[in-house]
Amino acid sequence: MTTATRTRRTITSIGSRTLETVAAVAELGSVAAQTLAGAVFGYWRGKRPAGGIARQMYFVGNRSLLFVLVTLGFVGMVMVYQTCLLTTKVVDGRNQVGAQWIRLLVLDVGPSLTAMMLATRVGAGIAAEIGSMKVTEQLDALRMSGVTPVRYLIVPRFLACVFMTVVLSMFGIAASWAAGGLTGYYSFQINPRIFFDVSMVEPAHVVVGLIKAATFGAAIPIVSGFCGLRARGSSEGVGAATTSAVIGSSFAVIVLDLVISFVAMTAFGAG
Amino acid sequence: MDAGSSSMIVMRGVHKAFGGRPVLAGLDLVVARGEVLYVIGTSGVGKSVTIKHLVGLLRVDAGEIWLAGRRIDALPERDYQVIRRKVAMVFQSATLFDAMTLAENVALPLRKHRGLGAAAALADARRRLDEVHLADLADRFPAEVSDGVRKRAAIARALTLEPEVVLFDEPTTGLDPQSARRVDRLIRELADRRGVTAMVVSHDLASIFSTADRIALLYQGRVHACGTPGEIRGSVDPVVLQFIHGRASGPMETPGF
Repeated sequence: MTTATRTRRTITSIGSRTLETVAAVAELGSVAAQTLAGAVFGYWRGKRPAGGIARQMYFVGNRSLLFVLVTLGFVGMVMVYQTCLLTTKVVDGRNQVGAQWIRLLVLDVGPSLTAMMLATRVGAGIAAEIGSMKVTEQLDALRMSGVTPVRYLIVPRFLACVFMTVVLSMFGIAASWAAGGLTGYYSFQINPRIFFDVSMVEPAHVVVGLIKAATFGAAIPIVSGFCGLRARGSSEGVGAATTSAVIGSSFAVIVLDLVISFVAMTAFGAG
Repeated sequence: MDAGSSSMIVMRGVHKAFGGRPVLAGLDLVVARGEVLYVIGTSGVGKSVTIKHLVGLLRVDAGEIWLAGRRIDALPERDYQVIRRKVAMVFQSATLFDAMTLAENVALPLRKHRGLGAAAALADARRRLDEVHLADLADRFPAEVSDGVRKRAAIARALTLEPEVVLFDEPTTGLDPQSARRVDRLIRELADRRGVTAMVVSHDLASIFSTADRIALLYQGRVHACGTPGEIRGSVDPVVLQFIHGRASGPMETPGF
């Protein structure tokens, strides 16, 4: 193979990958737009499948509750333990740990960790279900039946996920704070009345935390659904779509966390 | 262009490639109203791809598709909803929705395309299932019934809107011989009694030669030979002979073998 041929092939390969990436971004944008439009308009026209949202809320919320409580609880224990260890080494700042921890939980750690957990559990499930429907031509059959796959499959999951990520974040924050309080009391003798101090939490922190939870909850089904819709081939393609969904939704949560934190910090100093 | 009043489907110079690999390379095909046309060819030659273009599940890279005198290849997705009321498709693997009962599966097009309420659509769906002798299984989920039942329910779903054209993608694959012949008889009856135009993708030679009005053999992205069952049987074309006699060796290039 000549150098000119190799160069041409490399340029062609870069060009086609660039085009594929641009097409994928455009498709993701289209899925997001259709989902938002379906969520805003479609649900007042009686076009939703009966019980679709309730089923999804049960799957996203109830079935994830224990998973979120245990994970956030352990994170609360570890974080409070490590922070107390550090603070007692320099100056004894143990009394500040509880107030700072709840502020951090409400503003950032609660929503983002809850969403990361949901990205793995719920995101993988959405991509696997939609991906397997794609490779078995069920999505084509839906279109033939007059149904838009995005509205039928992603919109109910979107609405359920937005609501349940907010609710689960609250439960997660409570579990993490309580577990942290117990760790502080039994390991570092922090008085619970001092640990469970919410004076550092301002209304703006709560608003930013809720916005983050709802936004993360919106991103997970859109990204995961998009990955499922792009599944190709057979079971291998569904597996690849599931992996992409977990990576993509987790990445989306991290990026959105950064963006919202930056905007909130710039707008009202509560990032 | 005049697609001709007797032609239900006209495909002209249709090209389609996937990932740079051409599948259809200038395909020309005409199907008359009320005709049963079987599309045959080796696996991966583009038979399913061909029929999916007719309902907008795939879009042409180049070429024209006309349906009942109207050009449809450049329609937006929304306009294909109208086409899909007239052109139904039975997919290869039945493709019933796992979360719905057989009756709910059949009712779905009635609710979405015709705007019927859930109760009315279900009642109509049960009547349709009764026509294919599945009334007793109407409340079963797809996972609880056999392949043959799933296929019959999928056919009932496709016919529920009383389409003018029905596309069958390997309708007898995976069925026992008796069920396969029932499907053949159903396809023939649709054309003879209701004037439905049918395009059938199949490998089943018994079905093909007993049911088709005409047969089109796809090879290298084009229609290599097209004619009545008698003409195809009597063909001396080496590619046609190799296919219909199922010979492993011959002039036909088979991808992957």
